[in-house]
Amino acid sequence: MYKIAGVLCILAGCIGWGSMRIGQEQERIRHLRMLFHIMGQMRSEISYGKHTLPEICLSLSELNDNYYKMCFKRIFERTQMESSSAFPEVWEAEMKSCLERLPLREDERRTVEELPKTLNLREENGQAGRVGQTETFLEGRYRQAEEACENRSKMIRSVSILTGLLLAILLL
Amino acid sequence: MRGEEILALFPEKYRDRWRETASLAEHLQEIRLRADRPFMILSDNRESFVSSQGRIVDRQEEAGTSTSEELDEILNHLCRYSLYAFADEIRQGFLTVQGGHRVGLAGQVILDDRGRIKNMRYVRYLNIRISHQIIGAADPLIPFLFEGGKVMSTLLISPPGGGKTTLLRDLIRQVSEGTMYGPGVNVSVVDERSEIAGSYLGIARNDVGIRTDVLDGCPKVEGMMRLIRSMAPQVLAVDELGSTEDVQALQMASGCGCKLLATIHGGSLEEVKHKNYMRYVVEEGMFERYVMLNRKKSVCRVEGIYDKEGKPCIR
Repeated sequence: MYKIAGVLCILAGCIGWGSMRIGQEQERIRHLRMLFHIMGQMRSEISYGKHTLPEICLSLSELNDNYYKMCFKRIFERTQMESSSAFPEVWEAEMKSCLERLPLREDERRTVEELPKTLNLREENGQAGRVGQTETFLEGRYRQAEEACENRSKMIRSVSILTGLLLAILLL
Repeated sequence: MRGEEILALFPEKYRDRWRETASLAEHLQEIRLRADRPFMILSDNRESFVSSQGRIVDRQEEAGTSTSEELDEILNHLCRYSLYAFADEIRQGFLTVQGGHRVGLAGQVILDDRGRIKNMRYVRYLNIRISHQIIGAADPLIPFLFEGGKVMSTLLISPPGGGKTTLLRDLIRQVSEGTMYGPGVNVSVVDERSEIAGSYLGIARNDVGIRTDVLDGCPKVEGMMRLIRSMAPQVLAVDELGSTEDVQALQMASGCGCKLLATIHGGSLEEVKHKNYMRYVVEEGMFERYVMLNRKKSVCRVEGIYDKEGKPCIR
């Protein structure tokens, strides 16, 4: 009886671990999708609205009812209302604390955090183009991750079940 | 409050240097920054220097100097790290920042293939002109600008720095809120350079009255026609007439029954009459009052108020 319960626990643990890994990957895809949509919104605000970056952050906080809402609101408040800190530093700090808990890869995180370093052009189309490059990079990563996810999910699920079975057999 | 606004014009790391200067906010007229040249300020029409520690000094030798990098950082900060959003203003050589302060820019211009100014790079000269809202500045004028309870079309004339915009702002406020000479009326303002209302995110930061609508950042000609069609103003206000097109738009507005409040650069009424685009306006009597302003001993004064025939008004 105890042995059966132990085997079931091991199996459940391994399947749970596998599901967690799949969940993390799906979470990464979800955030990559949100981030490249945000970059798209930012690009059009620059090229069509000619809004300043803090104003864009305010409108992003209003447009995005999600994880990023508060982050953009804080960037707006710190750069515009308090008018005390430089936009690149505020963006980097806020994005760092916002993205550090997410299952993104290091280069994806760094690309978003360091975005303001590319934002010092004097003409809106050039500037929008620079944001567009980040958008394209994130979109590429999103498409890759989405494609890979289905196959990887099946693989992770199978591997986790097999690992569970193997462990159970070895422990029996 | 004005002091904080002035400090906010500088990036955080330079603010300590400008603290003493900002404490003079009420008297401060200009802050001039030039690459590799001393920091200079103009306060109460008196020129002084600022040391690198932020003390206001009289001797040039004690003054600190600006570096090119510092000017780039200040410009970036003034443009909220969004130079692209201020491309038109930079092209024109000035930008208006929060609070209605105007920053003049000079550096190297980039020309397009038709020889027109496309943009400016290496901005190495900044002239920060501090805007002042003086509530009640127009009080001495008010009795002369109303007749039968109605405001009369008025042109404020002065050389640069004579206080036209400050006076116009208070005039707009009083006309909009009403005075003992006439009730408040709807006023529409075309604030091409954001100097009158000092709008930020579309909301006027200066007090321009409760019945005032502001079209911010819009060219005068387009803005006047738009406001007449959309906001049905009884009074239309614009700053710095400077071209035939401006005057034609004013004529149209006047033809629609609007009263006008406007300003123009000029040393005298005669000088204004001799401007090509103003001659017809003066001859036709489009403006019922001309107010001549001047700055003497650092104080802006009303030199004279004239009726549409150019005769001094006495009441």
